[in-house]
Amino acid sequence: MNENSLKKKNISKYLVFLILILIVLIIISASLGSAKVSVKNTSIIIASYIPVINKLIDLTKINPLDEKIIIKIRLPRIFLSIFIGIALACAGVIYQAIFRNPLADPFIIGVSAGASFGATIGLVFITTVKLISLSAASIFAFAGAVGVTFIVYNISKIKNKISVVTLLLAGVALSSLINSINSFIIIFKTQDMAKVIFWLMGGLTSASWQQFLLITPIIIIILVFCSFFMKDLNIISLSDERASQLGVETEKVKLILLVLASIIAASAVAVSGIIGFVGLITPHIMRLIVGPDNKILFPTSALAGGIVMLFSDTIARTLLQPREIPVGIITSIIGVPFFIYLLLKSKRIVY
Amino acid sequence: MEKQNNKGSEIKNKKINAIKIKNLNFSYSSIYPNINSNLKEKNNIYSNNIYQRNIYQENIYDYLSKDSSNEYKTIKKSCYITKNILKKDQFLSKNVLKNINLEIETGSFISILGPNGCGKSTLINIISKVLKNYSGYIEIFGRDLNKINPKDTAKLIAVVPQYTNAEFNFTVEEMVLMGRYPYISRFGSETNKDYEKAINAMNLTKTLKLKDKKYNELSGGEKQRVIIAQALAQETPIILLDEPTSHLDINFQIEIMNLFLKLNKNENRTIVGVFHDINLAANYSEKVLFLKDGSIFTYGDIESTITKENIKNVFDTDIYIGRNPFTGKIYISPAFFKTYYEEKDQLVEKNASINKLKKIHIICGGGAASPVLNLLKDLGYIISCGVVNYFDTDLDTAKNLKIPYISEAPFSPISLEAQNKNIKLIKESDIVIFPPIVIGNGNFSNLVSIKEAVEMGKKVIIINGSTDFKKRDYTKGKATKIYQKILKKSLNKNTNLFIINDLHDLIEVLEKMKSNWGGSNGL
Repeated sequence: MNENSLKKKNISKYLVFLILILIVLIIISASLGSAKVSVKNTSIIIASYIPVINKLIDLTKINPLDEKIIIKIRLPRIFLSIFIGIALACAGVIYQAIFRNPLADPFIIGVSAGASFGATIGLVFITTVKLISLSAASIFAFAGAVGVTFIVYNISKIKNKISVVTLLLAGVALSSLINSINSFIIIFKTQDMAKVIFWLMGGLTSASWQQFLLITPIIIIILVFCSFFMKDLNIISLSDERASQLGVETEKVKLILLVLASIIAASAVAVSGIIGFVGLITPHIMRLIVGPDNKILFPTSALAGGIVMLFSDTIARTLLQPREIPVGIITSIIGVPFFIYLLLKSKRIVY
Repeated sequence: MEKQNNKGSEIKNKKINAIKIKNLNFSYSSIYPNINSNLKEKNNIYSNNIYQRNIYQENIYDYLSKDSSNEYKTIKKSCYITKNILKKDQFLSKNVLKNINLEIETGSFISILGPNGCGKSTLINIISKVLKNYSGYIEIFGRDLNKINPKDTAKLIAVVPQYTNAEFNFTVEEMVLMGRYPYISRFGSETNKDYEKAINAMNLTKTLKLKDKKYNELSGGEKQRVIIAQALAQETPIILLDEPTSHLDINFQIEIMNLFLKLNKNENRTIVGVFHDINLAANYSEKVLFLKDGSIFTYGDIESTITKENIKNVFDTDIYIGRNPFTGKIYISPAFFKTYYEEKDQLVEKNASINKLKKIHIICGGGAASPVLNLLKDLGYIISCGVVNYFDTDLDTAKNLKIPYISEAPFSPISLEAQNKNIKLIKESDIVIFPPIVIGNGNFSNLVSIKEAVEMGKKVIIINGSTDFKKRDYTKGKATKIYQKILKKSLNKNTNLFIINDLHDLIEVLEKMKSNWGGSNGL
């Protein structure tokens, strides 16, 4: 290939590398916990559930209790956390490109405020509703997240155009209003305060295969659909005007991606509670490695989001075992120093 | 079969306009902070962020169904519905474009000129479908712009805006490939053809060697060339330019404009550009559109449109018009001396009556007299000039300014007849001016005329400019001898000879003389 030709980008090397990390992390994470299972035995147990390979595996030496712990308790939580990480990171990529703001994250337009409001209602007032494996808090959190995003979106829509600045301002304003209402509810229902606060800190204690099967299809379908809009997203991240000039249906694409990103962020938040910074920092780390091209950034950030989330959740449940730390605390402890580093760095360049 | 052939040739013979605009109106209905380039043109009302709604205008047309030649025939019902949403806000709304009717022929190179805020960029944004809530009707190659989908529009019309920084630091290669977006299907990715076209666009703009660099780390000129490459990768028959050369150094400015000219001439691409630089527009385009306050002031070819009057009207500024000696194209220059003295309160109108009392004769040659002719004409003096050869820039200037002149056949020495006429004019004048012209054997008698003027006792003003007389002498010292005689004569005789450096001195000398002749009506 000579110097003057353009090269097609090779995305597979990044993906293979990230998948390998993820697999290793899954095995290590599955082996950790109050019941000790060796990494070797964990690998055997997991492999025995993979079609084709399972015929070669001999399970006779494995303690059936270990198998139960790993398959019934640890794996659902591991996979759920991975998919929550994927959802948040992908939503982050989309929001950052549309808002042309590297500091945007899935919660900036009211997803978290809406979810916490819904969850408070579900935990304090309507505790009896249950849908499959989702608690009332989860159901109302999802509804609240989607509802608030919808309101924020409508406030900032002027004649079928979405104003980015208005969207951000409306998101911030509405979020603080809702947080005040939340606090107001809590002071009158002090007996539920602990429950609400613990939910808001985020965690995956109640993870199950049912929850996993409920939210992952939504996330996968939406992300595959979104991935076809990455060329558009690249151009939109230049400017709306330029995007229109280059033939992108700017308003339509922005609307589709904003709605879908909000739905996946809301789904993730509904099962896990408020988990900050995954959606903000993952796209940043990946942008430093693979560059700003969303066609590559989107899938790699997805995997990286899964890795970050699984890593944080593993620490959350093993660091002070048998006590559990809400995962939102861990992601913030990792995320905030990085966030401040970004702020300091970007202050010198742009802001 | 025969019928079909006829039809084919009919379409070929009939030239379809690249762009046709009918009754276009546009006004801001709200403020979108993300459309920065339009807000650049905001007036003070807008910067106060007063939210305003305005008159909706809906223009209703009936479209007859598309015929086989792929053209839409339109019947205008000329029905305007005007709805006042908020009456009191009406005066706040700004009609950015008013009743634009325009036809741009395929393969032409048009410049849009006008002062800041006249709606130039808005017009570009409307044609390129960035702004949609206009009223009126726009056709692109005979097709209704509203009915062409965005991707197809981007295959027909490319826009070259002024560069801006990208929030995310894409590589040059990635930026240019974005220009291929309209050709790539939603589920596909770039094919080899797309890479070829991108390389071609980068070669044309000399950006190929930058391909792996980060866009934001380039210099302004490089960024602009990348944006141009991005637009060229679109491979469109129409290219709209929005001041694309404002950020470029002169070498790239010329290179890029030549590139657009080449695309225009060789590939018959239609180019419509918004320019600040009138001379640039005059050099490259065939026609000029002057926009003033959102309406078309005038539209026509360069020669008849770029005139002193039009520019005074549109830009409210005084200019001199001449010809670029190298290209023969119209060339404008700001009349800074005139504006400078206007600011000093020596208004032309005020002085005009006094200025008319005396007659001034100016010796011409090689373009050196043009600035003097322009200035004195503007200040209202009665002037004449001579002797000047045909094809001399000074003769063009004299003709343009309608100044009486004595002329001589091209490239031939001044005849006795012409010289006598010249001396006759000198006799009728009160003041004679000798600009820094080059003296050769051909126009040697012009210098002789000056000598005679001094002998006649006329007031003679010699402008020396920055070059020494000896360097302007191409007669092997003959002229210098005469020149020195003139100087000597003036030394013993009187103060009627003034030797000055430039136009500023000239105005001052004339002002001094004026204080003497004002009331007494004599020198």
